[in-house]
Amino acid sequence: MMFDIPVIALSLQVAFVATGLTLPVGLIVAWLLVRKDFRGKFFLDIVVSLPLALPPVVVGYVLLWLVGTHGWLGQISQGLFGSTLAFTWFAAVLASSVVSFPLVVRSFTIALAGVDPKLEVAAKGLGAGSLRTFFTVTLPLAQRGVIAGVLLGFVRALSEFGATIIVAGNIPGRTQTVPTAIFTRISSGDTNSAWRLALVSLLLGVIALAVHNWLLNRPRSPNTTGLNRLNNPSS
Amino acid sequence: MISFDIHMKRSEFLLDVAGEFGDGITAVFGSSGAGKSSLLDCLAGSIRPDSGHVQMGETIWYSSLNRVWVTPENRRVGTVYQDGALFPHLDVRSNIEFGWKLIPEHKRHIDPLELADFMGLSNLMSRKPSTLSGGERQRVAIARSIAIMPSLLLLDEPLASIDSPRRGSILNYLKRVHAEFEMPMIYVSHSISEVVSVASNAMMLEAGKVVGFDHPTALLPYVNNSEGIDKFENIFDGVIGPSTDYLTTVEVNGVEIWAGRQRKSMGERVLVSLGANQIILAAQRPANISARNIIEGKVVETWSNLGKVFVEVDAGPKFIVELTETALKDLGILMGCDVFLVFKSSSVGVFDT
Repeated sequence: MMFDIPVIALSLQVAFVATGLTLPVGLIVAWLLVRKDFRGKFFLDIVVSLPLALPPVVVGYVLLWLVGTHGWLGQISQGLFGSTLAFTWFAAVLASSVVSFPLVVRSFTIALAGVDPKLEVAAKGLGAGSLRTFFTVTLPLAQRGVIAGVLLGFVRALSEFGATIIVAGNIPGRTQTVPTAIFTRISSGDTNSAWRLALVSLLLGVIALAVHNWLLNRPRSPNTTGLNRLNNPSS
Repeated sequence: MISFDIHMKRSEFLLDVAGEFGDGITAVFGSSGAGKSSLLDCLAGSIRPDSGHVQMGETIWYSSLNRVWVTPENRRVGTVYQDGALFPHLDVRSNIEFGWKLIPEHKRHIDPLELADFMGLSNLMSRKPSTLSGGERQRVAIARSIAIMPSLLLLDEPLASIDSPRRGSILNYLKRVHAEFEMPMIYVSHSISEVVSVASNAMMLEAGKVVGFDHPTALLPYVNNSEGIDKFENIFDGVIGPSTDYLTTVEVNGVEIWAGRQRKSMGERVLVSLGANQIILAAQRPANISARNIIEGKVVETWSNLGKVFVEVDAGPKFIVELTETALKDLGILMGCDVFLVFKSSSVGVFDT
């Protein structure tokens, strides 16, 4: 039991930081895809979705190359910290971010596309700039879809295995997350503790998906029910 | 004053319009697809034309020649959309104050609460848009635009999603808003009745081109009713008078009009509508006739085009009557002639203001 706590804590840490990265980047990319027409949009759409279509191991391999001594991310971090990012907990964050990114962007895209562009035009006409319009009109109206996307990204980040084990490794106490720890325990025949962590994964997944589905399915607001309108027929 | 000269091509559609609108209420009129909304979008800055210029007073908003482009948020143009486009997540008060809050405090000359009162919205302030009726929503939309003291107010088919009986009420609000705040307004509509009722000038568009720019009534004969454009209705403000068992009188500007029996009390303010094609013109007072309304007036204006004639008769209120060229000739009606307007009580519509 005692050995589980640091593993769960690191997993949560990785998932939280990964979600913190994908939220702003995902919002910008989704907004570009939904509201803007530009050259290379088709290409961007494919690149964003690519991690969905690739084996996570391949994503991990590409990331390992990027953060290694020859990749540009590796060179930047070597310049800044004197070492590459490979086999650090932050490499696990990168792996989780990239793998969960398509899911996050997809949810955000659907949420933003559901906002009537006319409302944004109206806000600008009333003097709000693009940023203010986004934060006071677009985002509040897309709120539920955005939160749902964040949750989906969070559970995906928590359960990330393939890319993580390649680029971050499976170092107990340093980069071992719940999924990689389960892998180690199964490999070594430690089924009891493997089952324990599997149950933790199951619990976190069920909770996050339940909240996700509840957010997307509940009625918009109590004010929109027909009953209320019937009670106020005045003009 | 706003002047513009706009050229724009979007796939098959060509917009090629120029004009100058004064400080009154100017209508832009035409069937759907004529380019009315595109013109508004170009004036508001939500669409950038291919070439031309747009100038508001001394300020140039767009000039392809001098490469000037003022973004919509810097134009201070209020727009009222067909469905109101109210922010659904904000209550009425926050909707009205949305643009007002963005104005620096020392430049806010309008008190949103007084404005809400003026628009009859005071007791709706904490309601969400989804709980409002169509008419209420449009009043909120108008208040929201007025609150930023726009240099120009654009109204894009503001009555299209409102039941016709309630339209007159919004038109009255618009006229009051114009009288109170004195800002130029451009009113886009495909309903000639609305245009005549609210505007002092009207520009008629057809397939992206200007086909007429005149006093609204002068455009009447050019309106092609087959293109989904409403027939002309006279709209008057009236007050309910005495009733008989089956009929009710409505007083309109000193004239008593008989309508079907109304469930309204005497003295109540109402709107009266009467189709221009429901009125018969007679050179002499007809005797022994079933129509309940025979009203004397004087012909003040006639407009004609392709056999269609519209006659304006001043009988206290000014009635527009539609007839044919031949009928006009047979009757020998000329400007200044005394005539009698004849119409049935059942042709008269009476609505709440």
